[in-house]
Amino acid sequence: MRSELLRRVLSNRPILLAYAGALGLFLTTSAFSTGFASENNVRLLLVQASFIGIVALGQGFVILAGGIDLSVPWTLNGAAILLTLFANGSNAPLAWAIPLVLALGALVGLANGLGISVLGVNPIVMTLGMNVILAGGLLVYTNGSPTAAAPSHVEYLATGRLGPVPVNTLVWAALAALATIVLTWTIFGRQLYALGTNRTVALFSGIAVGRVTVITYVICGITAAFAGILLTGYTGQAYLGMGDPFLFSSVAAVAIGGASILGGSGHYLGTVAGALILTVLAGLLPILNLNTAALQIIYGLVILGTVALATLPGRQAVTR
Amino acid sequence: MEAEAPGVPQQPVVLARRRSAGEVALRVAPIGIPYLILIVLVAIYGSLQEGVFSREELNIQTAATLTLLLVAAGQTIVILLGGIDLSVGGILSFSTALAATRFGEGGSTMAVWIALLVLIGLGAGAVNGFLIAHLRLQPFIVTLATWSIWSGAAFWVLPTEGGIVPESYVGAVNNAWVGLSVSTWLVIVLIGLWVWFRRTRLGVSIRAVGSSETAAYLSGVPTARVTIAAYALSGLFAALAALFLITQTASGSPTVGNDFILNSVAAVVIGGTSLFGGRGGLGGTVAGAFILTLIASVIFVLSISSFYAPIVTGGLLILAVLANSITDLVARRRAYR
Repeated sequence: MRSELLRRVLSNRPILLAYAGALGLFLTTSAFSTGFASENNVRLLLVQASFIGIVALGQGFVILAGGIDLSVPWTLNGAAILLTLFANGSNAPLAWAIPLVLALGALVGLANGLGISVLGVNPIVMTLGMNVILAGGLLVYTNGSPTAAAPSHVEYLATGRLGPVPVNTLVWAALAALATIVLTWTIFGRQLYALGTNRTVALFSGIAVGRVTVITYVICGITAAFAGILLTGYTGQAYLGMGDPFLFSSVAAVAIGGASILGGSGHYLGTVAGALILTVLAGLLPILNLNTAALQIIYGLVILGTVALATLPGRQAVTR
Repeated sequence: MEAEAPGVPQQPVVLARRRSAGEVALRVAPIGIPYLILIVLVAIYGSLQEGVFSREELNIQTAATLTLLLVAAGQTIVILLGGIDLSVGGILSFSTALAATRFGEGGSTMAVWIALLVLIGLGAGAVNGFLIAHLRLQPFIVTLATWSIWSGAAFWVLPTEGGIVPESYVGAVNNAWVGLSVSTWLVIVLIGLWVWFRRTRLGVSIRAVGSSETAAYLSGVPTARVTIAAYALSGLFAALAALFLITQTASGSPTVGNDFILNSVAAVVIGGTSLFGGRGGLGGTVAGAFILTLIASVIFVLSISSFYAPIVTGGLLILAVLANSITDLVARRRAYR
């Protein structure tokens, strides 16, 4: 069982390269900035990376099966806003508020998935449309200004510590382990790879293509909602627009992690490295006197570069 | 078959068979439905508001629509090709940012920058097309990446909303001729250009590539060059949209373009152009763009929160895509029967 995982990861050069890149980038940045490698800063980096990493988990599943989810920004934002509104600053309602918010995330994913696989709506249009609908809905619901603060238990989840390790990192590690198990050893995982490689062949092999597609979008809705919950805990409150950066960063993390944007290859362990790289990059920019404008340009270049590299060796036949 | 041969088939040719009522309906529906919706919306708007059926109101609505229509014109070309262009948002934002910071007092500096903006739009689009045609990358991922890059560039030039667009430039659109404003005339010119363009070698080639890239290639259409040209035109139209938008806002914004990405796709798709490529045109897009503007106007007149506009737009878009998929499916079934 272990050898299967090792074989997949070791045979996937992009994943190894991504980790080497993350380490290299971290060491370089540490050389420029004295406090960067400190214990506190490493903890901070891990926590910041987890938000991208968790959104990219669902995004990775969707991309692996050959789709894309552009509705993550407002799914995340909606989860954050609704959780703070439901809980209204106290911990008691969390017992039902967290499951409810995650279920709503799943519902968004379900709508996306059904629209795409059953009604045949183009994934870009479906999810981009969903993003706009959610944004409008939340603006109507909150009247443009969400207020309540994040409950202390959610803050603990995002910023607390167990010994030297942030609680948040433990949560992320658990999710990564779960994703790894699903991708490597389950039937669903194999179906995902089959679906992303060739949809027609997968269909003829008896895979319930529609159902698998829907499930990937549901997973993506849940992880985006979960990242939203954690992010409100981190920032202490929910605000409009907090999800916007995750559109590019989640796709970029998946792309850097070695997943083909056409689906069919890649692994969540690579995406983790992608999230780490993007976070270290974001930390490197202020040191180089660059701002978030540069970060957006870098996101774009990174997506283009990695996708081009991944496509160059075995040029795809006419797939458009 | 020559590339410029008129009437390159948009669907497999069915010879020696008279068109049944169903086939005629299939041809008319994509363009008829948006105009029907538009007429209904105008009627609703007209019953709610005084003086809707006047040249003044036409000028107001046209000015409110033209930015979207220009972006959507470029988007139409790319979608006809079977692609999609998400980078128009970034190019539009970047262009307004440059205009609001570089136009200065107007005069020759401004003239040079206007020319530069047009060239930047063309170039940015051509780069998209090059990456898609020659590296064989997916259109959405290329334009997603360049959307991010141009948005970043916009933030770099103009970190927050603001800047100044010279009065001489903003005032130029206030001219009118026979009661019709500059923006109304621009729409008429745009439609005229399309009537000419769709019959040109490039116009026909774009639809041919959109119908079937392989068939177009085998028929001698230079598919790579056509792809680059189509995306270059999309970039150009995004830049032109920015040049018009700044006459309305008199300032620049690093994020203003983002609103136009989904809306431009929506205008095209509601206008009956198929996302599978090859089918549709600017005629429908004009209706689509005006529908989106009128929805906002009707929501305003009903004094409902403007936050509802994106919900209605998004819902209408998904319905339109659905309707298109169904007509596409029916058309194919009929063609192969």
